[in-house]
Amino acid sequence: MPIKVLAFAGSPRRGGNSETLLDWMLAAMAKEPDVVVEKVALTEANINPCRGCNACEKLNKCVQHDGMDIYHDKLVEADVIVLASPIFCMGLAAQVKALVDRAQVFRSRKYVLKLPIVPPGRKGKRLGVFLATAGQNWDHVFDAAVPSVKCFYHVIDIRDADITYLMVNNVDEKGAIHNHPTAKADAEKAGRTVIAEIRKRLAG
Amino acid sequence: MTTTVLGISGSPHRHGNTETLLDHFLEGAQGAGASVDKVVLKALQYSPCRGCNACHKEGECIVQDDAIILYERILASDCLAVASPIYTMGITAELKGFIDREQYLWARKFILKTLYFSDDHIKRHKAVFISTAGLGWDNVFDGAFPIITALFNTVGFEYYDNIIANDLDRYGGIRQHPTAMNEAFEKGQKVVRVLEKLKAP
Repeated sequence: MPIKVLAFAGSPRRGGNSETLLDWMLAAMAKEPDVVVEKVALTEANINPCRGCNACEKLNKCVQHDGMDIYHDKLVEADVIVLASPIFCMGLAAQVKALVDRAQVFRSRKYVLKLPIVPPGRKGKRLGVFLATAGQNWDHVFDAAVPSVKCFYHVIDIRDADITYLMVNNVDEKGAIHNHPTAKADAEKAGRTVIAEIRKRLAG
Repeated sequence: MTTTVLGISGSPHRHGNTETLLDHFLEGAQGAGASVDKVVLKALQYSPCRGCNACHKEGECIVQDDAIILYERILASDCLAVASPIYTMGITAELKGFIDREQYLWARKFILKTLYFSDDHIKRHKAVFISTAGLGWDNVFDGAFPIITALFNTVGFEYYDNIIANDLDRYGGIRQHPTAMNEAFEKGQKVVRVLEKLKAP
């Protein structure tokens, strides 16, 4: 079975800094043997915000029908899930927050209905990656995004310790990341490391 | 001049815990003589920021929808109350979608230098963040504060206060919370009195 990588490019700006960082990582992952990569641009994925209706606490599924009909299943099937977001106004882009909030159905499944997210044999055999870029050079510019990302991965059965972070600040204009001294090498290295780790876990 | 208070409800869930808390804040403000208005984001038509940066050149957003109209209303208000429940450790996607659209004002302030708020203006424009969370964790609002701070800074309002209530899953809703509803009402009254004192010659 190939290693399945599901990646979300969260920026509405196609080909910008966060997506470039993602593309560098995905290219490095795809070079490894038996890896299948799927990249989704959230701006084209038709994912509506959560309505807060809590129907999923009873139904075990969302009452809305949109892009999440597809990505719900893909989120369960993937071995590695990569989420890339620019920082807008100190937080995740609204498009990314919509995806993250729609994971509510997994939270209901896990904590209200007490049903499994992945089969028992796949527990601990899923990894997450969070990639982010920010125009500001502040060190704390990613602080508000991280708790939501942790929560997203937690409800889809990816543990805190199994999330890899690569967050690059001080890249504002489109293409600025190309001038960053280490971002490309860091993304490629992290991509290879994540694939090596998931390969080990899946074999174990 | 009557003090104007604008409440913005960022919850997709009508008349839930957060909107109820906002309503109490607005009732308090009204009781103190302010003119109050409430906008429910869910009922507006706007799209999230496209990140195109076109506003960096002219200071105008190329997407002219309800978000721009609401920003103009914010700029014309004395007091702003922004309300959101906590979803997945942050504000709702609806509110984040609206806040990201402030980029054109940010561009006017920091790139084009055509918009400036004096310290005196900021002191006379006060903003309050209203939020509820089901979880009881102390840190459950931490992901919201920096984003709300960014909004209030951009529109020239002082971040005056928070009205926040966590652990609502345990309390069984905001009406069962021991202090939050009174707090919201009293803070609504108080902020109007403070703003009116600042206006007095």
